Amino acid sequence: MRRRTVALALGTAAAMVLTGCSAMSPNANGTVTLNMVESLTNPSRTDLLKGLIADFEKQNPKIKVNLISPPTEQADQKIQQMLQSGSGVDALEVRDITVGPWSNNGWLYDMAKDLKGWQGWNAMTENAVKASEDAKGRTFFVPYGFYGLSLFYRKDLIKDAGFSKPPASWDQLLKQASAINDPAERRYGYAFRGGANANSNATAIIEAYVADKVDLANGYKLKNGRTIFSAPEALDALKTYLTLFKKASPKSSVSWGYPEMVEAFSNGSTAFLLQDPEVIATVSESKSISKEQWDTAPLVAGPSGKTVQPLATAGWGVAKGSKHKAETVKLIKFLSQGKASTDFTKKNSLVPILKSATEDPFYKTGPWSSYVTMTKHPDTYLNVSQPRGVTWWREWEQKSDADVQKMVTGKMSPKELLTGWDAYWTEKWEQEK
Amino acid sequence: MPATSATTTGPKTSRPVRKQAAPRARNGPRGGRKREFTTRRGLLIAAFMAPAAIFVAVFTYYPMIAGSQMAFRHWDLNDLTDTSWVGLDNFHRVFSDPNWGTVLGNTGAWVIGSIVPQLVIGFALALWLRRRFRFRGVYQALIFFPWAISGFLIGILFRWMFNSEFGVVNDLLQKAGLIDEPVAWLADPHKAMIAVLIANIWYGVTFFTIMILAALQSVPDELYEAAALDGAGKARTLFQITIPYIRVTLVLTVLLRVIWIFNFPDLIFGMTGGGPNNQTHIVTTWMIKITQQGDYGKASALGLLVVAGLLLFTVFFLLATREKREVRS
Repeated sequence: MRRRTVALALGTAAAMVLTGCSAMSPNANGTVTLNMVESLTNPSRTDLLKGLIADFEKQNPKIKVNLISPPTEQADQKIQQMLQSGSGVDALEVRDITVGPWSNNGWLYDMAKDLKGWQGWNAMTENAVKASEDAKGRTFFVPYGFYGLSLFYRKDLIKDAGFSKPPASWDQLLKQASAINDPAERRYGYAFRGGANANSNATAIIEAYVADKVDLANGYKLKNGRTIFSAPEALDALKTYLTLFKKASPKSSVSWGYPEMVEAFSNGSTAFLLQDPEVIATVSESKSISKEQWDTAPLVAGPSGKTVQPLATAGWGVAKGSKHKAETVKLIKFLSQGKASTDFTKKNSLVPILKSATEDPFYKTGPWSSYVTMTKHPDTYLNVSQPRGVTWWREWEQKSDADVQKMVTGKMSPKELLTGWDAYWTEKWEQEK
Repeated sequence: MPATSATTTGPKTSRPVRKQAAPRARNGPRGGRKREFTTRRGLLIAAFMAPAAIFVAVFTYYPMIAGSQMAFRHWDLNDLTDTSWVGLDNFHRVFSDPNWGTVLGNTGAWVIGSIVPQLVIGFALALWLRRRFRFRGVYQALIFFPWAISGFLIGILFRWMFNSEFGVVNDLLQKAGLIDEPVAWLADPHKAMIAVLIANIWYGVTFFTIMILAALQSVPDELYEAAALDGAGKARTLFQITIPYIRVTLVLTVLLRVIWIFNFPDLIFGMTGGGPNNQTHIVTTWMIKITQQGDYGKASALGLLVVAGLLLFTVFFLLATREKREVRS
């Protein structure tokens, strides 16, 4: 009796340990289950994806998709762990900042051959096709949309300050934001980004100032091969940027990240904000400012009248360890074309990947029109590839964010910052050779 | 040291010497049954504990050991093509990092600046809650409430509360006439450190209150009655009766909180993310930041240093508690 009890206990222990260790394999009836992991998770987006997956499953009854949605903050680390283990993930969200390290570690499948001759490419914008290929012509992800900066501005505040139209250049932005800024009235000119991802706006102004000299294949490089941070115009850019902080931004914005910036514009206290299109939905729901009070304008330009669109992107890729690559590629094709793609970009407030979007009334009117304007004038709003796929991007982000904070708090001069950034990228590129 | 040794070989005390239990007959029926009982029951207990033991081994000890070896290798998650052994290089990179001094200083300030006010306020609240008064239960519930909230969430809440333009802290201070213009709490390293300390004090007072209140319940009322008869005032009663009686609880609670606070990055991460200029990082938030960069080698080296530091602290903790137990026995 007791032996039986001991055996039962050991058997239970073994069963508990061994369950879950079996890999997902096709069922007896041939149905395949794919594991798909998203990274930039939020509840409404997850619901949207589930809807698109349901449509895909209807069209492909032999394929089931299991969507995994880790919290955004830990998502990329979770995906990394899954990829490292070599199983348990088929389709995954790949971002321009993760594609470099993940492909370098051999975790991503190159879809170039599978997508050769695919009709979906013809419907895509040039930006989307370019973003899907790395320097060696490999396709580790198909972009689902773009995150691009435009200028959110308060129509009523610029009118009250005596300006007839929104700023078109950084100098005009400084002038208008300074005129509107009045801390005593709790009214501020510009929602400065000093906290998380502060480097992105600092490099945006530098790129705008060197737009004429920038290498279109690498947004951090000049045509002469040196870094954009070595150009004399870069120093002018940072001086303007620092003045924008001192004269037109709240003091506490030295620690502002995305939530504070968006809140500052949405609650009506700040006149200008540089942000991605996803903010359109957030500001539209504001109880403090009405739809008549605000709009968006194209990204402000440098002294040459041109600027660089620092487009960020992400898309769907296939894990190298996937045992169902053909089915996963099928799913990615489905998500990257037609109604599925349009629904995803519209409801997720993304710059679309399909050419047809420029004719869509949804993008032609209201806050979205500035993005269409930028797309239609590629000579003014230059499409430049950012080196966001390099393996050291995360290290760079953290270093550069800290440097921007040092500059605005007076611990580092703009010249020192640029010297450091120039040395950093020069050294990295040397090591790469 | 077992208590029995103190009673049998120690100096003479007023306590009766405990009798040693007579050894059972080896072949007696009870002795035999006990041996059989021990073996079989032991096996059964071991069998039922096996799942938990395996889980702990797989999910705690294996990752710990696997993680420790990263400290001696080049382990960059952004480039796993080279994971060669690098000896103590990762430790050297930790010590030579310009942030190291600031991080150490901040960690000390974070622990001491949190513990002392938490202890004082927690003690005061516990003394107050010990008395009987109307709605005492409601007050107790309100004071214990923060302990139920996640540290990271509290960090985010306080981040908004301390926001210079839209935060309630500046609003209240201005309405009270204590400041003329908004204070940029999280934009200045010193003020940011004060802000995170205020948040942590608010969060941690609860634990001290709970522990001290529980200890206070064990102080016999007769002692207070005797002190009152002897004419002892409130201060003398506090320092000569209350504190000595609950000293063990106080020591253990302080030591436990030191370890917890040292290991508590959530609040700082939610409030400042270690900024501005990396000036509010403590060891654990800095370790997370390095991990986020993908530099697992350096982060693991720092992790081992943290473990070593806490192990030393734990030894001190165990020695201190053992000493107290001996004194008590």
